[in-house]
Amino acid sequence: MTRAATPAARRRPPLLLTALAAALLLAGAARAQPAAAPPATTQPAAGSDVEISDRAYAIARQLRCPVCTAESVADSNAEIAGEMRLLIQQQLDAGKSKEQIVSYFRQRYGDWILLDPPKTGLHLVVWLLPLLALLGGAAALVLLVRRWRTAAETTPDAPEEDLDRVRAALRAREDDA
Amino acid sequence: MRRLIVVVAVVAVLAGLFLYGLFRGPPNRDVPSNLIGKPAPQFTLPLYERFQPKYGASFSVDAHKGTPMVINFWASWCNPCFDEAPLLERYYRQYRDRGVLFVGVQTQDRGKYDAGRQFIDRFGYTFPVGMDNDSSIGVEYALFGVPETYFVDRSGTVVYKQVGPVTPAVMDKELEAILR
Repeated sequence: MTRAATPAARRRPPLLLTALAAALLLAGAARAQPAAAPPATTQPAAGSDVEISDRAYAIARQLRCPVCTAESVADSNAEIAGEMRLLIQQQLDAGKSKEQIVSYFRQRYGDWILLDPPKTGLHLVVWLLPLLALLGGAAALVLLVRRWRTAAETTPDAPEEDLDRVRAALRAREDDA
Repeated sequence: MRRLIVVVAVVAVLAGLFLYGLFRGPPNRDVPSNLIGKPAPQFTLPLYERFQPKYGASFSVDAHKGTPMVINFWASWCNPCFDEAPLLERYYRQYRDRGVLFVGVQTQDRGKYDAGRQFIDRFGYTFPVGMDNDSSIGVEYALFGVPETYFVDRSGTVVYKQVGPVTPAVMDKELEAILR
């Protein structure tokens, strides 16, 4: 016979859900955090407010501004970011591909310069962890819902004579009605 | 009851991590340099007028092969650069006779030639200083901010990178290291 859900068991789901929600929240926060970011003093762009092409802008969006916190080269107002945008444009004009330009910056700054970590090696963990947390959360939710439904459909765990008395009382009530 | 304790413990750990992330303060800027142990990138730096009679119109790393070098990146708007400048000049005077060459690179400072000249005059720099007007040398050296200083040994290898202003302790240790 399946045991009926106790009041304590009925209180468990919200706690578990809280834990899962916290895990998902953390996973999201971890994705948004920069691995490590630099600088001391920064200077707004001076002579580098030059128009750049959409392609240059797209590449700049992939690169992290070296003197900012969690800001791309495309979005930053720092002087070095402006110079890097120009450098990207110059390299595009010189016929270099997007991969070559990204590789140019990676050779100098390492993977740190990429706003999104590469989808290779140990970096894969960063990409897979939120997905695994999401799948784990969904699986836990399905299991919990199943358990609640089973518990609701289960016969109460009570002596047969007590159940007979309850059934008789219910019948009498129906007859009176 | 045991399950309740486990759940509470998990939530407490996660909440602790979350709060740590929120309140840990500004991230560490000490990102390891890709250049350490590698050849110092070659560059040609247009020099300020006062250095041209001795060093020519521009300074080239390749032209000084075999010379231990200290490459200092600075900008005219950067307060820590002002703080370290007297120390740099003092150490240059102390080590130049032992064959160490210092070079100052004004970067992230497009067009600020006058401010650069004032800076050089103020601190009486005697080592060559020039303007990296488009910050391309800064990118070659994977600069994160200013000031940053690179120590290059006789073989042309970058042996140390100082992020932030140099200190006497760093200068003593790293200058001896590049002279070995």
